[in-house]
Amino acid sequence: MIDKNMNVLVVDDFPTMRRIVHSLLKELGFANVDEAEDGQDALGKLQAGSFQFVISDWNMPNLDGLEMLKQVRADSRLGATPVLMITAEAKKDNIIAAAKAGANGYIVKPFTAATLEEKIGKIFEKLGK
Amino acid sequence: MQGNAQQVAQVAGGEGDELVRRIGQLTRTLRQSMREVGLNKEIEKAAAAIPDARDRLNYVARMTEQAAERSLNAIDRAQPLQEQLGREAQALDAKWQAWFEHPMELDDARDLVMVTRGYLQNVPALTQKINAELLEITLAQDFQDLTGQVIKKMMDVIHQVEKQLLQVLLDSVPEGRERDEVQQRLEGRFSLGMVEESRALTNGPQINGDADGVVSSQDQVDALLDELGF
Repeated sequence: MIDKNMNVLVVDDFPTMRRIVHSLLKELGFANVDEAEDGQDALGKLQAGSFQFVISDWNMPNLDGLEMLKQVRADSRLGATPVLMITAEAKKDNIIAAAKAGANGYIVKPFTAATLEEKIGKIFEKLGK
Repeated sequence: MQGNAQQVAQVAGGEGDELVRRIGQLTRTLRQSMREVGLNKEIEKAAAAIPDARDRLNYVARMTEQAAERSLNAIDRAQPLQEQLGREAQALDAKWQAWFEHPMELDDARDLVMVTRGYLQNVPALTQKINAELLEITLAQDFQDLTGQVIKKMMDVIHQVEKQLLQVLLDSVPEGRERDEVQQRLEGRFSLGMVEESRALTNGPQINGDADGVVSSQDQVDALLDELGF
């Protein structure tokens, strides 16, 4: 069972996409969702708060999603936080690089509500094992 | 009168031929000197960016059209449900109003209560359907992110083309005030390193899903991750 009260951080430089993911999460029952506008902003929020799940874009200014993911994995306190990538980057090299860096899931834009629900379910199912 | 006109035409015709010949000569000279200083390469580079830019604009046009259609379709599906809710509530309210004005026998009132209850039971299902359509409209807005990324890329391309054209201009204008102006424009606009080098892993949306090394659906992403053992 996924704890729908967990703190989720949505990271994307496009406000529209943040709102879309935020709405979808709300629809799925997640009550505590916060947003960050790039990797740098996200790292700050992650270090300052307690987030149990991160959903991140890749291509962002200042600090991109892959770099952010690497820094999260390298951080002793944040290291185990599950990270789901939602990105328009659709090259095989991207998917391989994200998986190697420790992404827990990869969704390519444009995506559907059903895909998001399925991937989140899968991530927490795996973590629960 | 007619003679005069003929004369004018002849003169104009003769001068016209001469003009065409001179333009032809100038064009040849220009082309030759451009090749000599390597300007044709710069122009070729600028021209090569155009088909790619056209593909990108096509992608933007397609995505925005799809998003508009998706939103409007969802609205078309939601509106009748919304109207149904309002219409039925109004009809029930009218019946209740009549009942309050002239209270009826218990049996008739019982019917009214049952119909009202039926309506109330139906409301959550309808609002759920309407909610799903609203979510569909929200999701349709994802085009803004995708087209936004492509448009940013386009702006880089336009920047490059502008730079190349200014370079051509700079190389072909004789020294003097005009040339200094072009030089200043070129330096002013490009000295700050405004054009970002494209990085290997941040390419934005793929305009062509059939290209090499590109996945075109979530299924392909999942298959690749499975293959890799993730």
